[in-house]
Amino acid sequence: MTSLDRFGQLSGSNDPFNDQTEDVGRGGQDNLIHIRIQQRNGRKTLTTVQGINPDYDFKKIVKACKKEFACNGTVVEHPEYGDVIQLQGDQRNLIRDFLKKIGIAKEAQIKVHGF
Amino acid sequence: MADDESLPFDPSMKKKKKKKKTGFDPDAADDVPTETPTEEVNTEEKTAESEQVQEKPVDDDLSLEFSGFKKKKKKKKIDLEELKEALPNEKLEETPEGGDTNNDESDFVDLSLMKKKKKKKVDFEEYSKIQDGTEDSMDTVDSAKKPGNTKGKAWHGSDRDYSYDELLTRVFDIIKEKNPEMVTGEKKKIVMRPPQVLRAGARRTSFANFAEISRMLHRQAKHVLAFLLAELGTSGSVDGNNQLIIRGRFNQKQIENVLRRYIREYVTCHTCKSPDTLLQKEERLFFLQCETCGSRCSVASIKSGFQAVTGRRAAMRANAQ
Repeated sequence: MTSLDRFGQLSGSNDPFNDQTEDVGRGGQDNLIHIRIQQRNGRKTLTTVQGINPDYDFKKIVKACKKEFACNGTVVEHPEYGDVIQLQGDQRNLIRDFLKKIGIAKEAQIKVHGF
Repeated sequence: MADDESLPFDPSMKKKKKKKKTGFDPDAADDVPTETPTEEVNTEEKTAESEQVQEKPVDDDLSLEFSGFKKKKKKKKIDLEELKEALPNEKLEETPEGGDTNNDESDFVDLSLMKKKKKKKVDFEEYSKIQDGTEDSMDTVDSAKKPGNTKGKAWHGSDRDYSYDELLTRVFDIIKEKNPEMVTGEKKKIVMRPPQVLRAGARRTSFANFAEISRMLHRQAKHVLAFLLAELGTSGSVDGNNQLIIRGRFNQKQIENVLRRYIREYVTCHTCKSPDTLLQKEERLFFLQCETCGSRCSVASIKSGFQAVTGRRAAMRANAQ
């Protein structure tokens, strides 16, 4: 948690004219953080978080999330979208609040998809 | 001193009074007297007040110099009487205006109405206590504002400046006149038919009126489909009788949510919220052109983003080889 706090303001690269250089390795032209949900078998779901600034330590974020939401989770590397966090279950609201609370992203930078 | 202070205060006081209904009229009356020789005012107030409460008149005299709390209190209690005293001059100006006179009778009963002041004043004129010419200008403003609610033409035939309230009501009256639909219906709401979502088998959902809804939105079914599937993070296709089959279980509420988001992003104009828009594709980018306000803006492209592996990995691997 403390390490997260230390990096709290790193994501604030919000210069609208600067979006071309910033998103290398982060997927998409926008520096939005996409929170998506996928249905698995039965009523099980999977939450994916894509677009977090790669300067963060993803493992530590996942570790904190797992503890906080009481779910499992992992980091998946994707050639196009960079590192993506996967969490079990529908954690969309929780992860959104979490990212805001920790200061990784602001409300405007987060986009929640899904139903 | 009292005179100087009271002048700047008056406008604001009067406005407030109008809204509050009963309390204000008395204030106006009080303020006016302060401008005139104070003694006369006091005497007048005392006479009026004496009927109800005798102690308060004394306070009034003292309070005139203060900006207002005591006055307000007094006024509430003594409203009618004070009004009568204060507003004799207005008769001359108000009576010609017409409609106001009719209301006079009801004035006492309807304190809540905005028009009250005028009416009261008119009645009071009969009591006709003499006040100086300085009051006239202030009183006229008050009276004019009140009528403004009804017609906003109160300044007709007078040389004074228009008050802000008058001009405001006038503008709105004109707007209402010119386009009546704004008043009644605001803007016409488009009513969407709810999506019919049924379960098709154990793990598939059918969206029965998908074609119809995309037609209602004036969007290509292809585009809506792409958005739906990207948002839901599944796969699906349109079957023979134009219904959409989506993999996964979804209920109507969920589909409705996604459709709502689609409409917000790709159907309603981002500037004026009008649904009367065209979606055009130019150089791989989609632009939303509004037919109502003429604005044009690019909209986000539809991307499904990262898709986690949810199926059987073994089967995938087998396919790949």
